[in-house]
Amino acid sequence: MKSKDFYRLMINPFTRIAGWQAFGVGLVFVILMGVIGTYSKVSFNGVIDAHFVPTMTFAHSFSLLAIDLSCLVVVMWIAGLIISKGFRFVDILGTMTLAKSPLIVFAIAGYFNKATDLASAPANPLAIFHSVSFIVLLILSLFTIIWNITLMYNAFKVSCGVKGSKLVIAFIIALVVSEIISQLVIYQIA
Amino acid sequence: MLPTYCPSCHAQLKVKCLQCENCLTEVSGSYDLPVLALLSAEDQQFILRFVINSGSLKEMASELKLSYPTVRNMLNEIINKIKTYEK
Repeated sequence: MKSKDFYRLMINPFTRIAGWQAFGVGLVFVILMGVIGTYSKVSFNGVIDAHFVPTMTFAHSFSLLAIDLSCLVVVMWIAGLIISKGFRFVDILGTMTLAKSPLIVFAIAGYFNKATDLASAPANPLAIFHSVSFIVLLILSLFTIIWNITLMYNAFKVSCGVKGSKLVIAFIIALVVSEIISQLVIYQIA
Repeated sequence: MLPTYCPSCHAQLKVKCLQCENCLTEVSGSYDLPVLALLSAEDQQFILRFVINSGSLKEMASELKLSYPTVRNMLNEIINKIKTYEK
């Protein structure tokens, strides 16, 4: 496979895989994220959120992932119904599930996270950048979030078959709304 | 591939003359090209494969090694082009 094709596949695999097939592959990643995240103490508490926490259980980890995914899929589906017609729910479900796969990087990164001295941060904010692992994780997080959002955008684009400003506006609104709803649901349950 | 646009000004071409290969009779006039002839070679090939696959997008997706929504989007684009030509 040429490097250009590989790059294209990394940012938009949905031209090749969608529906139940994508859901199956995505679900494997989500389960791995839940298992690894439990041991590495990473909490996926939001559609595009991940935090390092002191303790984590399987039940809590999988509940958060289920809430994130449900909010994302339902809100994107409703947004799709508003701007498009004749698309399948299973395509939104499958592609959005697979789009979450880059977040597995966060779950793995949790193993390499060393506690940063946040107590001294107010006095000397630059102190947190003295930790190499913190800087590496910061760069990695940024890269992962950009990859994740790119995948979600392409998932929405391919599934709904819409182009232009209508697509961009609907996607941004749906992403923000799904993040807010997921936070509210998590806050209500916690 | 049948030329459909003027190589000089890019306006749509019309059929001016048709000839019988048997008796060499010529029919002249100004006839519109069929809508399907106005589509690109790739789009015509897609329509041909679509008909051969009995209009099944699933089979088209499997044949082209593309996902179902991608093939459906390709079909929607062709439909939009045809609607534009029909206007």
